[in-house]
Amino acid sequence: MSLSHSHYDHRFKAMGGPCRLRLDCADATIAKRAIAAAEAEVVRLERKYSRYLPDSLTSAINRAAGSAHAVPIDAETAGLLGFAQTLWEQSGGLFDLTAGILRRAWDFRSGKLPAQSTIDGLLPLIGWDRVQWDQNVILLPEPGMEIDFGGCVKEYASDSAAAVLASHGIERGLVDLAGDMAAVGVGCAAEPWSVGIRNPRDSATAIAQFGLAGGGLASSGDYERCMLVDGRRYGHILNSTTGWPVQGLAAVSISAPQCLVAGGSATIAMLKPEAEALTWLRELGLPWFAVDSAMGCHGELHSR
Amino acid sequence: MEKNPALLALTSSALLLPAYQGVRADAPPEFVELGMRYSKYEEDDTKGSKTFGGNSQRFDIDAAQFHLLAPVADNWAVAVDVQWEDMSGASPWFVGQSIDGDPKVIMSGASIEDTRTEVSVTTRYYYDRGNAGLNYVHSDEDDYESNAIALDGSFNSADGMTTYSAAISTSRDDIDPTQGAVPTNTLHDNKDISSAWVGVSQIISKNAIVRFGLAYTYRDGFLTDPYKLRDRRPDERKEWAVSGGYRQYFMWPDGALHADYRYFDDDWGVASHTVNLAWHQNLGRSTQVIPFLRYYSQGEADFFANIADTEKRYYADDYRLSSFGAITAGLRVRYEIGNWAISAVGERYETDESWGVFSGDESPALLNYWRYSFGLDYVFR
Repeated sequence: MSLSHSHYDHRFKAMGGPCRLRLDCADATIAKRAIAAAEAEVVRLERKYSRYLPDSLTSAINRAAGSAHAVPIDAETAGLLGFAQTLWEQSGGLFDLTAGILRRAWDFRSGKLPAQSTIDGLLPLIGWDRVQWDQNVILLPEPGMEIDFGGCVKEYASDSAAAVLASHGIERGLVDLAGDMAAVGVGCAAEPWSVGIRNPRDSATAIAQFGLAGGGLASSGDYERCMLVDGRRYGHILNSTTGWPVQGLAAVSISAPQCLVAGGSATIAMLKPEAEALTWLRELGLPWFAVDSAMGCHGELHSR
Repeated sequence: MEKNPALLALTSSALLLPAYQGVRADAPPEFVELGMRYSKYEEDDTKGSKTFGGNSQRFDIDAAQFHLLAPVADNWAVAVDVQWEDMSGASPWFVGQSIDGDPKVIMSGASIEDTRTEVSVTTRYYYDRGNAGLNYVHSDEDDYESNAIALDGSFNSADGMTTYSAAISTSRDDIDPTQGAVPTNTLHDNKDISSAWVGVSQIISKNAIVRFGLAYTYRDGFLTDPYKLRDRRPDERKEWAVSGGYRQYFMWPDGALHADYRYFDDDWGVASHTVNLAWHQNLGRSTQVIPFLRYYSQGEADFFANIADTEKRYYADDYRLSSFGAITAGLRVRYEIGNWAISAVGERYETDESWGVFSGDESPALLNYWRYSFGLDYVFR
């Protein structure tokens, strides 16, 4: 005797992109409750960490920059700051939570390179090592300094929404927040989700397919925002020391038990020069897939 | 394989975030759960060759259990368990010597009838990194009354990989042996039992957990069996136990091995080894089949003898204090359908002096039994 599991597919917009929750469940009430709770979790994290929302914690921290008033933080925020600290350490300073302000200089829709003087004016405001924080408070030392959790909140939200699905008894589910994915899979009865990895030069096609049974998959690529100036490609992945785009890999996808770890690893790989990035990926010990600037494919995502 | 240091650093800092901290393990129940269980325990008759007076019927117990678990607030839950037991049969009264020198058991002649009611109430509070429970148990039968209170708590490490647990409990038992069938060793007495337990469990990989525990129990008061003819025990007993366990899940064939070991020692000279092996096999999403095997071996108490010497300060011929080995084999099946879960257990217990690792004389009163149980649970969601 076996119960028929219906498939549920829920789409919504959050964190600046298309979001999708897919799951198999025998009970419609449980499925709906799980979907509502998972969406609420994503919205909660967006409200807490979005730099676009004036009442978010991120906005409050940025507004207090250069003042004498440290902003109180909770354990979750301290955890994210701790993860950002690890990314900074493991990338040798290439990943910097305060580097987001460089987007003021770079407008990828303009098709124009910024003036070096504009970039030079922003560089003194970048420096994660100067941020004062502990488990309870944070203070940005210079007025105008900003932090941006954009590099890890979406991945964390995927994992957290997947944990919410699991806590509602969902045995097979997939959270997809604009390409950052976390799967719920209980037992080997849970068939893997077939997920496509976008071609960095043609966003409508998949360059690879991967079966995700559990854990996370995160992708990072210069296709998200980039421009061609005088035949040269400038991607949105910026070196926090020079303020200029990194000439590195075109795209990286990594699978890890947590989407957050997959996303952080992909970000580090994107920030490194191409050859160094490929060596780092090979030694990492996670299933990975990368496309270099000449569109050559590397690595292999093995179904876990 | 040694983990890459970068991956290790990223993973360990990620796991400090609340989403990875086993929210499920320490979340209070969301729904009311109701369960009922009926169990039957049947001891084999003691063989005629081992008794004076032919085959002798031993104990049968019929038990009905009722279980209620309910969330009462965001972080609180209450569980109520009630159990009724109906016992009947005869138990070994003493061991005597036959003409050819073999020890033979003399059963308490008249059939003993008793009923026991036990009520247990537990309140549990769930906090971010663990939970704590307070439990009260009252048990009442014709000749025995017990009140026990216990406090337990668990705490998870920041990375959610380690759980520390501890518990303390104390009970007061009143003994009022039923008069009439056999002369009793007391008219009214009592005993106090206090125990403490500490444990730690560690997640060692995605699919494996190990745990260790240490327990101490102190009994004080009337520890002699009130109904046995030749029984006189110290009025104090100190017990220690160390235990370890390992759980490993296998993707194929979608099952988990549970292996546990316990070593027990006390100041009466009793020591024992217990090994538990169980295989939890998932069949699809709704069925679980669990075959299990338990091996138990006990060494006899210093004052145990088949033919008890009542001239000594302490003496007992109780088979429960003798040297023996025991094997239990059983099967548990659980099936879930919608909000219902049906479970059934059957097990066979057999003892033999020669199966043990400790030496000693075989008690003619060693028992074998069957136990069956059938349960039905419902979740109000």
